[in-house]
This record gives sequence, C-alpha cells and structure tokens, in this order.
Amino acid sequence: MDINFSKEDIAFRDEVRDWLANDYPKHVKEKTDAGITISKEDLIDFHKALSNKGWMGYNWPVEYGGTGWSASKLYIFNKELGLAGCPPILPFGVGMVGPVIYTFGNDEQKERFLPDILNFNTWWCQGYSEPGSGSDLASLKTKAVLRNDLDEDYYVVNGSKTWTTLAQNADWIFCLVRTDNSGIKQEGISFLLIDMKSPGIEVKPIITIDGDHEVNSVFFTDVKVPAKNLIGEEGKGWTYAKFLLAHERFGIAGVGASMRQLNRLKEIISKLDNSDLQKKVNELEVALSAIEITELRLLSALENGGHPGAESSILKIKGTEMQQALSELFVEASGEYALMYPGPHGYENNDKPAGPDYAAEGLSGFLNLRKTSIYGGSNEIQKNILSKFVLGV
Amino acid sequence: MNLDYNDEQNMLREQIQKFCESEYDFYKREEIVKSSNDFDENVWNLFAEQGWLSMPFSEQSGGLGFGPIELSILFEEFGKALVIEPYLSTVVLSGTLLDKSTFSEKNDLIEKICTGSIHISLAYAEVDNGYDYLNPSTTLDSKFVMNGTKTLVLNGSNAEKIIVTCTNDDTLNIVVLDANTPGVSINSFSTVDGQSCSEISFENVKLDKSNIIAIGNDAENLLKETINLATLCICAEAVGCMESCYHKTLEYTKGREQFGQPISGFQVLQHRMVDMFIESELAKSLLIKAMLEVNNRSDEMYKHVSALKSYVGKSGKLSAKEAVQLHGGMGVSEEMMIGHYLKKMISIDALFGNADYHLKTFS
Repeated sequence: MDINFSKEDIAFRDEVRDWLANDYPKHVKEKTDAGITISKEDLIDFHKALSNKGWMGYNWPVEYGGTGWSASKLYIFNKELGLAGCPPILPFGVGMVGPVIYTFGNDEQKERFLPDILNFNTWWCQGYSEPGSGSDLASLKTKAVLRNDLDEDYYVVNGSKTWTTLAQNADWIFCLVRTDNSGIKQEGISFLLIDMKSPGIEVKPIITIDGDHEVNSVFFTDVKVPAKNLIGEEGKGWTYAKFLLAHERFGIAGVGASMRQLNRLKEIISKLDNSDLQKKVNELEVALSAIEITELRLLSALENGGHPGAESSILKIKGTEMQQALSELFVEASGEYALMYPGPHGYENNDKPAGPDYAAEGLSGFLNLRKTSIYGGSNEIQKNILSKFVLGV
Repeated sequence: MNLDYNDEQNMLREQIQKFCESEYDFYKREEIVKSSNDFDENVWNLFAEQGWLSMPFSEQSGGLGFGPIELSILFEEFGKALVIEPYLSTVVLSGTLLDKSTFSEKNDLIEKICTGSIHISLAYAEVDNGYDYLNPSTTLDSKFVMNGTKTLVLNGSNAEKIIVTCTNDDTLNIVVLDANTPGVSINSFSTVDGQSCSEISFENVKLDKSNIIAIGNDAENLLKETINLATLCICAEAVGCMESCYHKTLEYTKGREQFGQPISGFQVLQHRMVDMFIESELAKSLLIKAMLEVNNRSDEMYKHVSALKSYVGKSGKLSAKEAVQLHGGMGVSEEMMIGHYLKKMISIDALFGNADYHLKTFS
C-alpha cells in the first residue's frame, strides 16, 4: 500500500503551484482572498488565464485539445486550485456540454463548438431543471417540435427552465427538451443546443437567500432552433444527460476548497480561546481528512484499473455537508457579528463593515452554500442511488 | 499511489475470516464468555499454530515481522466476529512493548508468547489519572519497592507476568514481575464486551534491577508507542464492527417482513442504512491513513491515530445504535449478536482515551 503520489505527479503539483503564484490573475486573487464576490469580467479573466496555459480542457482527451490528464493529475489540479481559493471552474462548457459534444456530436458540431469552449469564447449554461422537474428530472416538459420551412429543418421550443446558473452571462444554453410524449418519460427527451440570442428567450433573475443573483428562470416562447443543433439522435437525450452527470466525477467533494476554509477557521478560532469552537473545528478537520482519503481511495481504484461506483455519491453527500458545516462554523465564530447582513457585494449600505471581516463572508457563504446539498442530484437522491446500487434494495 | 491490500495481506484476511467462520461463531464466543477463563486454550493454541501470535514481532525475536497493516487486518476481522481472546493484552500491549525494549529477557518471553505458552498483561491505567498514562502514581522507591494500584488490567486474571508503569523519583519506569510475587493482589471482573480485566494492587512489592524494562525517556517512548499501536488495533476492530453492523442490518431488514413487505423497502430505513455504510467507509479511510502513518513511523502518527480514534468513538457507537434500532426488539436481545457490537463499541471508545479526549489531543 502506498499513499504517495508519483514523482511525476509531484512535479505536476509544483507546476500548478507555480502557475497559481505567477499567472493566476492578481486582481482576482486579491478579491477572493478578501472574500469579495468577483465580477463577470474577473471570472472571464480567470478562465482565459487557464486557456492560455492550455489547462482549460482539464478533463478532455488530447485529441480534442484537452490535457489528457490522468485521474491523479486531475485530482491534484482541482485540489490545488481549491487550496489557492480560485473560483470554481465554470462546469457548464468544459465540464458538461463539451464532453457530450465530443462523444455524441457530429464533426461539424465538434468544429463549431469545442474550440470556443477551450478558449472560453462562449459562456454556456445548463437547461435541465424545470419548475415542475427538480430531482425528478425526466418528468421535464419543455417541448421541441420539428418543422420544415423553405427546406430548412428546425425545432420550435416552448417551455421554461429554472435555477439556470449565470444564464444572464451566457451565450449558449444546452437543453433537455421533450420531442416525444408517447413512451415512458425517459424516452422522448432530446439534447438541444440553443443560442441565447434567439428571439423568444427571456431570462429573469431569481435572487437567492444570500441576496445574490446567481440563478435564473429562462423562458422559451416559439424559439426557433436549427435542427443541426440537435446532439446525437432525437429521443436519446436522457442517455447523454446521464453520461454528463457521471462525467463530472472529480472535485465533487471540493476537498481543496474545504481545506482552505478549514485552515482559515483554525487560525481564526485559535485566537478566540473558545474550547467549544475548538472542538467543532477539530471534528471538521477529522471528517475532512476522512473525505480526502475516501477520494484518494477512489483515485487509487481508478489508477489501478478499478471501476468506482458508489464512491462518487458518498463524496457528493459528505463533501457538500462539509462545505456547509465549515461555513456555519464561520458564522458561529462571528458571534454577535453574524447579525451583520452584507448583501451580495459587501456592505453596500455601510461605510465600513462592523466586526471581523470573516463575519460577512461567513454569512454569505453559509446562505449561498445551502444549494450544494440540493443541486447535482440532491443528497437524498444520492442516498437513493446508494440504496439501489450498494444496499441492493 | 495504490491503496489496495497486496496479495499476501488479502490471503491473511481470508485466512482469519475462514477461521472465525469455522471456529469462532457467535455461539462458540458466548461459551467462552461464560467460561471461567474468559478465553479458550484451544483457540489460543490455534492462533499460535496459524502464526498469528508471532505476527508483530521482529524476525530477530522469532516473529514474522508484520507491521500495523497486518495487525489492522487481524483486528478488523476480530471485530467482525467479536473475538474476545486476549490478543491485545498479551501480544500487542505486552509483546510489542517488550520487543521494542532492550530488556535482557525479552527474547525468552516473546518466544513464549509466540508459542502461546504465556500470558502477560500491561498495567498502565490508574483510577485517578484518567488517560494520562505517563505520570503514574504507583511508586518505585530507591530500594526497588513498589506500591500502588492499577486498574482495568486487561486479561489480568490469566497473566503469569505483569508489566507495570510506575514512578521512581519523578521518572517513569516500566517493570515486569511475576503475578505471584508477594504483595501483589489481583481482583478480577468482566468487562461489558465479555473480556476479563483486573484491579491489581502492589503492596511493598520487592523488586530489583533485573525487573526493569525501561527508564525515563526510553520508558515514555516505549509506552506511548505501544499504546498508540494498541489504539490503532482497537480502532481497526471498531471498523470491522461497523462493517458488520451495516451488513447484518441490511441482511436482517431484507428478511424481515412487516406491512406485507420486507422492511428494507422503506426509504426511511434505506437512508439510515446508507448512512451506516458511509460512516463505515469513512472510518475505513481514516484507518488506512493511520495505519500507513504508524507503518512509516511518521511524526504525525499520533495525530492520525487520534483522528481515527475520535471518529470511530463517535460514528462507531452511532452505527451500533442504529443497528440495534433497525433490528427492533431483536436488537436488544442478549441472544442476538447485533447488540453485542454496541457493547464492543462502548468498550472500544472507553479504552485508551475516548472520542472527546482524542479530539482534544488531535490539534
């Protein structure tokens, strides 16, 4: 048994650290270090910097311009970026639709979309959830009807999507749409790429309890989508959707980012001389170590030819619980200053924040991170998955 | 990186599993618990034949030279079968302490341990000293006369020799003596999990230089390292218990029908069993980390054993309580195995520092 990374992996880790020290945009780093919400432009700068280094396609094969990294390199990359406090890489293009396009798309679609994803020239968003279809995703109703006018094949899309992250910034949306109602609900779903500038699309903000505008409702009224934007076969969208969900296996636990938060908490709490908080932070440190080793076990299984199964559900559940617990402890450590409501962009209505600077960030984080146990297949859905595949019931 | 057990380690696990299935089922265990010895001579001899009693000792001492990984495998399997034989006290606590010492008679004693012909107990705990084992109140004076009382000496009633921690002029000493030395009195009782342990008092017990195993820093390091290894072992035992709690509960709920269906069909029970599975996997992860640190004798080995101990103390009890609850009335029946895992987890948490204690020492 050997828990150490190879020399090659260690060298790679150092390369990532070098990049973070020298080429990770300074103005973004300053804001994330201070716990200030970053702007759209900051996010673009961060992604462009990754593109320049050739790391945007972190999970893609070399054939399509990706890095072709091993599972362990991917793990190291995610962990180091998290430890450094980088914003999460937006998953919608490179993590989600990209792999669907290079796996199930045709040559024309690959040429048209993949380079722009790698260069972050297009901002993608995800059209999965609907007002009536949350965890029961396959019950989705947004309808696409194939038409032909003047020898042009196109779909007419009607319906709505919700919880669409950063749709206000997006150039394109990939959507699950219903093209057939006759069979069981998983059949008759198709995977469609839609230009957000198409007439008939309306984006309305949803403000979340942290006061931020991160998610949206997207409405489609008679939106005309060229048939050439259909990925793969009509009616096979559910297969592609499941492929996509399984593809983002790594970094799901957010170990690197949680370690950063833990280290900051340890520093804060060490100055407070509060044994209750100290006990709580110790508990989280132990639990985070358990999550980290569990992820390494998954990694080891992958590297040695195994097929991981249930582990990614464990990591989703425990990783998100950890993120939430850490943010809650920030709030507890703030004591009475947890009363101060910062709003999404800092103390807009106050000249100067009252109390320690981590109080504001802690509260925003606590409220914002409630989403983590809800999205990506809620933690209860993950437990259903584990019931089926591990318990066998 | 490779976190798989190697072929030899997998074979060892299979061997222990087979042994427990054929020679150590729950009924056999209950017979042993009820017997006056609290262990079984035949089983102990079989342990010796399989080489298990020689496992952790260096090859120079006639052992197999296995490390904490193999010991953890053994204890995981012991945990699953709820083995109560005094392996921890004789082999781990006493044997490995002797093996790492420079004591002149250690080879002779270790050879006897390997062949199963001696039991030795380590008397490290005292009533008023909590989990601070490095500052015992038991004294050894300048004329080598020992006075004091030790408590919770595992397998004390069967021990022919006792290793005792004591203080001589503010310095920690570790001594070994025959259990029948004049001035030694032993009062034995059963533990919640079916082991035997003793309170042993020493009244003007006359020793000499030849009884001394280690003094000062050497003694401290020896004791710390031994207790740390023993802590790892019982944590591995806890991990085995947790896995069994999960498997047995799943099996039970699949077979138990209420309201016209197996109760495993109810989502509320499914999610609770998923939680048991997850806790068992996370504990296993911490075990892997801790045993590798101990194996490498890293600076952080104490820290990682503390992390593991605090985790299994809490989540192990939780799993065992859930197992009892999901077994319904059967869970609280003495004749069913499942409730005995809960007793084991209580015992494991109490030994060598409970969850809260290790959570504190961890940072």
